[in-house]
Amino acid sequence: MLEIARYEAERRLKGTVALAVGLGILSLFFIAFFPSFAEIDMDSYMEAFPPAAQEAFGIASLDTIEGFLAVEIYNFVWLLLLGLYVAYVAAGTIAEDVERDRMDMLLSLPVSRTRVLTEKFAALFVPIGVLNVVVPIAVYAGVLAIGESVDPVDLVMVHLLSIPYLLACAAIGLVLSTVVDRADVAKRIAIAAVFVLFLIDSISASTEGLEWVGNVSPTAYYDPTAVLVESSYDLTGAAVLLAATVALVIVSQYQFRRSDIGT
Amino acid sequence: MAPIEVTDLTKAYGDVLGVDSLSVTVEKGEIFGFLGPNGAGKTTTIRVLLGLLAPTSGSATVLGADVTDEAALIEAKRRIGYLPANLGFDEEATGERVLEYFASIRGDSRRDELLEIFTPPLERKIREYSTGNLQMLGLIQAFMHDPDLVIMDEPTAGLDPLKQEGFNEFIRAERDRGTTIFFSSHVLSEVRRVCDRVGILREGHLVALEDVETLLDRGGKRVRVQVAGDGTGLGDLEGAKTVETIGEEHQFTYTGEYDALLRHLSSYELVDVEISEPPLEDVFMHYYGSDVEEGETANEGTETPLASDTTEATDA
Repeated sequence: MLEIARYEAERRLKGTVALAVGLGILSLFFIAFFPSFAEIDMDSYMEAFPPAAQEAFGIASLDTIEGFLAVEIYNFVWLLLLGLYVAYVAAGTIAEDVERDRMDMLLSLPVSRTRVLTEKFAALFVPIGVLNVVVPIAVYAGVLAIGESVDPVDLVMVHLLSIPYLLACAAIGLVLSTVVDRADVAKRIAIAAVFVLFLIDSISASTEGLEWVGNVSPTAYYDPTAVLVESSYDLTGAAVLLAATVALVIVSQYQFRRSDIGT
Repeated sequence: MAPIEVTDLTKAYGDVLGVDSLSVTVEKGEIFGFLGPNGAGKTTTIRVLLGLLAPTSGSATVLGADVTDEAALIEAKRRIGYLPANLGFDEEATGERVLEYFASIRGDSRRDELLEIFTPPLERKIREYSTGNLQMLGLIQAFMHDPDLVIMDEPTAGLDPLKQEGFNEFIRAERDRGTTIFFSSHVLSEVRRVCDRVGILREGHLVALEDVETLLDRGGKRVRVQVAGDGTGLGDLEGAKTVETIGEEHQFTYTGEYDALLRHLSSYELVDVEISEPPLEDVFMHYYGSDVEEGETANEGTETPLASDTTEATDA
């Protein structure tokens, strides 16, 4: 068992390491800006943002290191960019193999389609896991280096709770990978879908009477600002995201089992 | 149970029938050539056999496993090798890594032995492989787990004649070990040298199932003649079909005996003669007559491919 997952994980490792290094450096770059940032009159700066933008980027307090990290790194890079990235990558998993005739070869081996799909999805733990180990180390070191401090437990939790969120985004991509024939199209739709969900959550949150609409978005169940600024951990949200992931993987399995591979 | 049994198999893509009530049985230990022009439904049939496509109706079994029963088919696939027409290897991996990967799932008891016959550059990335190297890697993965049945889709496309002879030799040796081999091709000359039996597929139907020798006898020879003078009456010979004149060259397909042909030709002043195997299209013409009308092909269940005019030739 797990031969497929191991092979796929190995394939992803190189790109993942490059991405981890890149994001680590980007985080350090952001953090290096914080000291000069903290001197500005933050309150008036923040008021300049429309409420939807404040909501979208979880802007609470940019003049504390926690608030700053939450906005610049976790709401922007982690929640939005990384969410889009894993959805994009997951959308390629099945569709790309089918399109490039790799799936024919793989399915000529004695493996079930359910196993192929599940192990390919499992291999996405590589980017998700590695990034969540490397980047917090870089962030913590960066914060110490500029003479600030951040609660290590909060930092660990903001990463730990991002894992269910990123898995849910990946699962959205996975479903598209089994439904849409062309890999390019599946990947683009996955990016659009996660982005639209992100917007729905941000806009509905500041629209009276429509707050509930945002609950369809995975972003509603992971709030880095709350974790870092208030040390409040939404474990129920994480459970919802994990349940959604499992449900979406099951939908993908069903779809993949019943579809014709190529023509 | 025969290694491959297909019964009334139909695969429809919307309104188009890729395969239309096809029935064919491949016997244990034979090399079976699945012949037909492009688009006849060969690849569709193979993909159904591998469980990649679900049949619209009818049934198919490989090594006794129903292709719609995933668990049974998975068990059967431990003893099946597959060489697809488009070798979809992971381009970024080395040949070595891909063989390791497949071996970890399906075994590789014969890998070393095969690597003495086929020598792709295993340490290189597959992206850098030539067509021939890809084909060798494909053959190794298809045979290295010592399968009982190997299914190949157009395995000789793109091989030069020397490589092709090597391939034929290898396939015969595998058959002699007891492996059943099923492969598709659209080139008759490739198939005839190596197959024991041939099934001809046309527009999703099996139109003929023959020993190779019988097929070639029925298909006849292609004769090209150039004579001094106008060559009147050249095609006027029993067994000559589809007589054509292209420039100075007279061409026809001949299904009679050589003696009669040579006697006939010797009454002309010959400039050039060429007697060769006919292309597949010409063999088909003999099976369906030279001008198959639209209406005729649309007829369902026309399982009488042997036009009466070919029977006399086989008596010869």
